[in-house]
Amino acid sequence: MAPEGMVHALSEVRRVLAPGGILIDLRPVADNWPVEVVSLREVRRTGRVLDLPEQTGGDIASNQAMDEVERRGWFIREQDALFSFIYSWDTPSEMEEFVKEDWADFIDLDDETKRATRATWAVADGDSRVRIRMNVWIARCKKQNPTMESEP
Amino acid sequence: MSLQKDTDHNEGKFLHKFVDLKDKDVLEIGCGEGRLTWQYASETRFTVAIDLDRDSLRVARVDCPSDLKDKVHLARADSIHLPFAKEKFDIAILAWSL
Repeated sequence: MAPEGMVHALSEVRRVLAPGGILIDLRPVADNWPVEVVSLREVRRTGRVLDLPEQTGGDIASNQAMDEVERRGWFIREQDALFSFIYSWDTPSEMEEFVKEDWADFIDLDDETKRATRATWAVADGDSRVRIRMNVWIARCKKQNPTMESEP
Repeated sequence: MSLQKDTDHNEGKFLHKFVDLKDKDVLEIGCGEGRLTWQYASETRFTVAIDLDRDSLRVARVDCPSDLKDKVHLARADSIHLPFAKEKFDIAILAWSL
């Protein structure tokens, strides 16, 4: 969605929120997320995903839209944080298949990361899984009562 | 497929840390299959969870826990034109949808 569309969507959210209502913005943000082989005993990093323009561009557009609605006085950000959100699979091939089928527009895995993940998993403990540790952004924004000139 | 998501349950933990949902009217935009919805809806007074994806909503309707069926309303709707009256909700959650 283009930033203008996002701003419009946020104006709709603002419309349906009661005075003083709270908007929670929750979304993954690109950061070359780490790829890991993990067991109960240890975590071994095997590489990082490659961020594709669709993901990084989407993050920029979302941030611009939030900045714009704050500038217009529709919302004020009260709190924000980043946290880890794990996607985990039994095997490296299942991870590769998922990335190819579901995230092809957003991230990719280079050959070295695939090789290192397969090699590490092959000799790891029996309970080992592979995972991608995403960064997810959460922000709490309070609906404001803007001045007339900042109304849409 | 052996996919597991958010094994640390961080999403629900952070949501609860950031907002008190008790007895609130909540709109969730981008509910998908309800992964996040089921983690908080029991505390709310009422939750409307919307998504554009018919397949995800179908899964959500099947997966909706029985104790939430009267509290959660799942609907297909677009954030560009929210089909609700003004000032209807206390909290809006943009769930991976901005």
